[in-house]
Amino acid sequence: MMAAVEVSEAEKVYILHGIRDDLRVDGRGCEDYRHMEIETDVVSNTDGSAKVTLGHTVVLVGIKTEIGKPRPMVPNEGYLEFFVDCSANATPEFEGRGGEELGTELSNTLYRVFNNKHSIDLKRLCISPGEHCWVLYVDVLLLQCDGNLYDAMSIAIKAALFNTKIPKVFISSDDEGGKDIELSDDPYDCMRLNVENVPCIVTLCKVGHRHIVDATLQEKACSVASLIMSVTHKGTVTCTRKVGGGSLDPESIFEMTEAGKRVGKALHAPLMKLLEQEESLGKKQQKVGFFG
Amino acid sequence: MAAGFKTADLLEYYRRFLKENCRPDGRVLLEFRPTTLNIGSISTADGSALVKVGNTTIICGIKAELATPTVEAPGKGYIVPNVDLPPLCSSRFRPGPPGEPAQACSQFIADLIESSEIIQTDDLCVERGKLCWVLYCDLMCLDYDGNLRDACVIALLAALKNTQLPEAVISTETHLPVVDLEKRHGLKVCKHPVASSFCIFDESTLIVDPTDEEENLSTARITVVTEEGDRLCAVHKPGGMSLSGQKLQECINRATVRQKEIQKLTDKVLSSVKTS
Amino acid sequence: MPTDTKRVRGPDVSQSPSLFVCQPADGVSPQGPRADGRRRDQVDVRPVFVRCGLVSQAKGSAYIEAGNTKLMCCVYGPRETERKDETDMKCGRLTTDMRFAPFSCPERGSWIQGSQEKDFSTMLQESLQPAVCLHKYPRSQIEVNMMVLENSGSVLAHAITCASLALADAGIEMYDLVLGCSLRQNGASYVADPTSAEENDRGPDQSRNQGSLTVAFLPSLNQISGLQSDGEMSEDTLTAGVRTCIEGCYKLYPLVQQVLSRCVSRAACAPPPR
Repeated sequence: MMAAVEVSEAEKVYILHGIRDDLRVDGRGCEDYRHMEIETDVVSNTDGSAKVTLGHTVVLVGIKTEIGKPRPMVPNEGYLEFFVDCSANATPEFEGRGGEELGTELSNTLYRVFNNKHSIDLKRLCISPGEHCWVLYVDVLLLQCDGNLYDAMSIAIKAALFNTKIPKVFISSDDEGGKDIELSDDPYDCMRLNVENVPCIVTLCKVGHRHIVDATLQEKACSVASLIMSVTHKGTVTCTRKVGGGSLDPESIFEMTEAGKRVGKALHAPLMKLLEQEESLGKKQQKVGFFG
Repeated sequence: MAAGFKTADLLEYYRRFLKENCRPDGRVLLEFRPTTLNIGSISTADGSALVKVGNTTIICGIKAELATPTVEAPGKGYIVPNVDLPPLCSSRFRPGPPGEPAQACSQFIADLIESSEIIQTDDLCVERGKLCWVLYCDLMCLDYDGNLRDACVIALLAALKNTQLPEAVISTETHLPVVDLEKRHGLKVCKHPVASSFCIFDESTLIVDPTDEEENLSTARITVVTEEGDRLCAVHKPGGMSLSGQKLQECINRATVRQKEIQKLTDKVLSSVKTS
Repeated sequence: MPTDTKRVRGPDVSQSPSLFVCQPADGVSPQGPRADGRRRDQVDVRPVFVRCGLVSQAKGSAYIEAGNTKLMCCVYGPRETERKDETDMKCGRLTTDMRFAPFSCPERGSWIQGSQEKDFSTMLQESLQPAVCLHKYPRSQIEVNMMVLENSGSVLAHAITCASLALADAGIEMYDLVLGCSLRQNGASYVADPTSAEENDRGPDQSRNQGSLTVAFLPSLNQISGLQSDGEMSEDTLTAGVRTCIEGCYKLYPLVQQVLSRCVSRAACAPPPR
C-alpha cells in the first residue's frame, strides 16, 4: 500500500544481518532517528504551519482555523479535521487511486491520535456551546517520501499546533437576545494552544528478530509488520495500531511497546525546547527558505 | 447427470420440470417458499423485522427522527423507505450507490406507502407546522435469491407494526422539543397490504414466488398487492410478455389467499413478541 | 452535501429524538457489577451465538451474536482481481468492506460509507491478512463483506472472529483462525468485551488510564495479527490488556472450533449443493 521499493534477496540479507548486529545501513543503531530539521511558520497564509525533514522524508503541515458548529453529541467542544495529501510529487505511486486511499487511511489514523481530549483541550475551542466552536483544519502535505511518514507527520502536526494562533473572539448579545461574534481588533491578540500533551507517533518495524525505529523504505521492505504508537511526554500511550500484512508474537509486541514508550517519551523534551527557541527568535530569525 | 443437464441447458431443464407441474426445488407452480418472520430483534431500532422467504432474507429497521413538516403539508410527517442490496447479499452487486434493482424496489415501496395509506401521515405530526416525525424505513437484503418485493413488503409491515414512538411535545416555555424515551406508543397501521410476485414462463406457465434463477429465465414478471377484505391495492407489471385476463385473475386469486396467510403470520408473531 | 438522487429522500434536516431528552440517561456506574451481571476485572466475555453457511448466494458466510451485537459476514471469491495495476500478481488480494446498517447504532447512520467504516475495514483487513494463504491465490481477489446489524459494543473484535469463520466456511486456505477480543480500561479496573454503554462511558476519573483495546489473535500459532488501542494508557496497562484479550480469545476458541467442525461435517454429509 504505502510507497515501497524493490529490494533484492541479497540486499535483504545484508540489511537483516546489519540490524541483528545493531548497525544499520546508514550507520544508525536500532533505536536512532535520522537527522531531523523542524521549521515553523513557513506558510504565511495559514494560522499555523510547520515543515519537518526527516532523512529524505519531507512533510509540510498547515493549520487553518474556522468557526463552525459543534458536533451535536459534544456541544461544548471544538474539533480537528485532517486531510493528508499524498501528492504524486512525493512518489509516483501516489498517483491516482493509490494516493487517495493512502491519504484517507492516514487522515483517519491522525484523527484517532490527535482529536481527543487527551491530546488537546477541545473545550477551549468552544466559543458558545451548541452554536459556535473553532474547527482546526489540519492539512498535511507529503512532499517527499522516504519511509516513516507517521513519525514525521506527528512531529510536524505538534509543531504546527504549537505555532497556531487563534484570533480572540467575544460574544455580544444584541437587544433582541440574538448573539453576535466579534473578532478582536488587535491581530496580535490571539489564543495559543497548549501542546504539552500532544503525543508523537513512533513507528516500530519488526525486522528479523529485532525492531527498529524510523525505518527507511529499504528497511521497511524487509519488515513484515510494524506497530504505530502515539506517546505523550509523560510516556503514556494514547493510540496503538498494528499495520502491515504480517503478524507478531505477543512477546515482541511487549518488547516493542516498551521501546516505543521509551523512544517516544524522549522525543518530546528536545522538540519543545526547539519550538520555544524558535518562537523566541520571533521575526528576527533567518528563514532558510522553503527547500533550504 | 441431472447436474450436467442443468449446466448445459438451464431453460430446458426448467421446462421439463414445469411440464410436470412442479419446480426443481420441489414446489408446485403456485406454491410459496417457506416464510419465516422474526420481529423486534434489533434493539437499536424503534421497530424491526427479519423475513426469510426461502433463502431470500430481508431485514427492516425503522428509526424515528424529528423534523419540520413541509410548507405544503404542515400537518403531516414523513415516511422514507429505502431498499439496499449490499455486496454482501449476492456476488452480483457491487459496493457504491444503489443500482437499478434497488432503486426500482425503493420506489415501488414508496408508492405503496403513499397510495395505500398504510399509515396516516397526520399521525406523525407532533405540532402542526412545527414538528413531526420522520420514519426512516431501511430495508436491507442479506441473502438475494429472488422475489425481493414480497419479502420487503412483509418486512416493512411487520416492522411498522412493531414500531414504538417515544412521546414528544413542544415545550411551552422554551419552544424546543422535549422527548421522553421511556413513554412510548405504537403506530396505527391502518392497512395490511401483502405483495405476491409471479413469473411467466414461455408465454403460458405461471409460477409464484420465483427464485433468482427463475426470475432470470422468465419472460415476464408481475407483482400483485392486495389488502384485507380481498381488495386489490396495486398491480405492477413492467413490460415483458403480455398476459391474458384469465391469468391475471388467477394471480389475484392466489394473492388474496397469500394476503390472509401473511397477515395471520404477522399478527401471530407480533402477539408472541408482546407476551414474552 | 451531495444530493442523493438514487434513494428516496426525506426532509433535508432531521434530528435524533435523543437530543431532546429532558433528563440525561444515567451513566454506567464505575464500581460494582456490570449492567448485564458480568464481573469487572475478569475475562468475563459475553456468550456468543455463532452460525456458518447461512447465506445461499455467498461462497462462505457467518453470523455472530454477542449480547445485542449482531454481525453478518459473507465471503465471495476467489475471483479475478479488479485491479490490474497492482505490480505484484504472485499473491492474491484480500479486500474488506465493513458497513453499519443505518439502524444499527443509537443514532441513525447514513447509507454512504463514513470514515469510521473505512477505518474499521482497514483494521479488519490488517487483522485477517496474516492468516490467509494469499500466495495460493495468485491474480485473484477474495472479498470479505461485513454488515453490522446491531452495534452493542466490541464490534471490531467480533467482526474479526466472524470474518475468519466466513473465510473458513468459504474453503479459503488459512494458516489459522483469527479471533478477536476487546477490552475497556477505566482507571484501575477493566471490563472485557464491553457493551456500547461501557465503551462510551467516560467515568469520573478523566485523566488516567482510560482507553479501549482490540486484539486479533491466531490461537494455534500464538501470533497477534491485529492490535488497536485508543485513549490514554500506561505501557504496563496496555501490556496487561493485551494479555487479557489473548485470554479472552482462548475462551472463545473451543466454541468457534466446534461450530466450524459441525459446519464442515454437515457439508461433507450433505449431497453436493446445486
